[in-house]
Amino acid sequence: MKTGSTEIFWSRAAEFFSLQYDFALYALLAAVLVGVICGLVGTFMVLRGMSLVGDAAGHATLPGVAIAFLITGTKSAPALLLGALASAVLAAMTITWISRGPRVRADAAIGIVLSTFFGLGIVLLSYIQASPTGQQAGLSEYLFGNAAAVTPAQIGVVALAGALLVVLVGVFYRPLSLMVFDERFAQSLGLPTHWLELGLMAALAVAVVLSIQAVGVILVAAMLIIPPSAARFLSKKLPGVMFASILIGGISGAIGAMISYVYEGVATGPAMVLVAVVFFALALAFGPVGGALPRALRRRSARQIALQRGLR
Amino acid sequence: MTFLIEPWQWGDWMWRGMLTLNLVAITSAVLGVFLYLRRMSLIADALAHVALPGIVMAFLVTGSLDGALMLGGAALVGLFTAVAIEWVSRQPTVRSDAAIGVVFTALFALGVILLSTRVRDAHIDTHCLLFGDVLGVSDRALSLVVWSTPVVLGLVAIFYRWLSVSSFDARFALALGVPVAALNYGLMSAVTVTAVAGFEAVGAVLVIALIIVPAATAHLLARSLKGMLAVSVGHGIIASWVGMYLAIGLNISAAGAVVVAGGALYALAFLFAPGHGRFWRWRRRSLAHRGQHQPLSPPG
Repeated sequence: MKTGSTEIFWSRAAEFFSLQYDFALYALLAAVLVGVICGLVGTFMVLRGMSLVGDAAGHATLPGVAIAFLITGTKSAPALLLGALASAVLAAMTITWISRGPRVRADAAIGIVLSTFFGLGIVLLSYIQASPTGQQAGLSEYLFGNAAAVTPAQIGVVALAGALLVVLVGVFYRPLSLMVFDERFAQSLGLPTHWLELGLMAALAVAVVLSIQAVGVILVAAMLIIPPSAARFLSKKLPGVMFASILIGGISGAIGAMISYVYEGVATGPAMVLVAVVFFALALAFGPVGGALPRALRRRSARQIALQRGLR
Repeated sequence: MTFLIEPWQWGDWMWRGMLTLNLVAITSAVLGVFLYLRRMSLIADALAHVALPGIVMAFLVTGSLDGALMLGGAALVGLFTAVAIEWVSRQPTVRSDAAIGVVFTALFALGVILLSTRVRDAHIDTHCLLFGDVLGVSDRALSLVVWSTPVVLGLVAIFYRWLSVSSFDARFALALGVPVAALNYGLMSAVTVTAVAGFEAVGAVLVIALIIVPAATAHLLARSLKGMLAVSVGHGIIASWVGMYLAIGLNISAAGAVVVAGGALYALAFLFAPGHGRFWRWRRRSLAHRGQHQPLSPPG
């Protein structure tokens, strides 16, 4: 039984990666793209110490989707995505707005915006459900993601927006990297940090909205936080962290989509996240920059050198 | 006035829902103040999310949905989460906010997968866990809240001095001999227990709102710890009542309505808090701008 089930696992995995089924191909593409985009944008968020803004933006897409549905009356993807984008941007901007000024703590501001927006979304959804026109299928898909339900057109949109994000990051690479590491220095150079920050928030909102179809609103934060956090153990330099983060995000997407194909009932989002967690654990243990094992080895060799020199 | 009284005559779900909601709101508001002062509001977010894997794992180990076991399991998972977050954030390259994000999303993902593969036939309803069902509180949820509330509040009362001194100045507390670390973990466990107890009734996201938002409002309005606790509890109760009546009147989700009411109360405090409310500051500035004789006050 045991060997049989591993055989089944490998044959199903091979079937998935053979790409003979269109929907498997779409799921793979969607998951990899999401992993790459989140890995890229997440790098800047994590380095700026704004990891959890992504969590808030993810939760905050809910009211936008509901309002778009109320206005258009259909489940047409573009309208819902625009709604999601608008409310994610609004949430990110509200967080920056409230957290400036006295007697407000930035962490609490994230929590306040997250819960209020999500609460509003739940209220609107319950209203839609109660109204005669509203049949809300796919809510759990929206919450936890399903890469297999992504259509080729949507993948096109994601790919296009992703390419645009890559180009923008390339164009604004120097000011962005300055701002990420030393905002005051960037300001003193006369860089428009305010606008850069706004652009970063917009990029975050775009990444979140592109991802919710595949990973769901609740776990989108994970794909924004975990790959960059793992990547920080691998390199000290921004390009290295960025590249490693994109790679980890993309591979997590691919393996996660495969797992969700092989095991029925496992949603894509959680599967991707758990694969990324494995990468994070490996980086935490063996990463050259501050990983546990290299640090222990270095400490040991330092002690040996000290002992040899007779210093105790 | 009949609007206020009528729902109470429709059946006992009203008082059950109200009792549960208010007890959860009070406990959360009290714990939230201590978390807020320690700048750990977002740990509440994490702990509320890990209540899901906590419940699922407790069910997998014990095979039952017995209330005490569930609370115990969830408290353990909450404690584990707190320890894990602290350990990860102590790594040289990880900031504390990233550590929170890594740990809770990982556990939440694990919980979702366990739920969808291992416990499909158990009576664990994800929608209910996330959004709550204030008007359909089960006996189990009601008794969980009724039992856990006095325990948590009693513990807070017993350790009040330690909690307050360590919230404002952890180093000073350490110097006084207060077991700061143990106190922290106790607070985390209490938050998780409250989140789990209130979970079924009010849902994960509402629990976060009840923990974070009242304390933030209280910080805008109150000047002492006792004042903060009072305002925070008041905020929780007002939001519960306003939200509940809104939900009944408009036929919308009660949990969501309570959150929105709480958010609105925060917005009011943010704009109109005496002294530093944004509306007053904006008006002061525009009056000064027009050259009227308005004394300029120092910022803040």
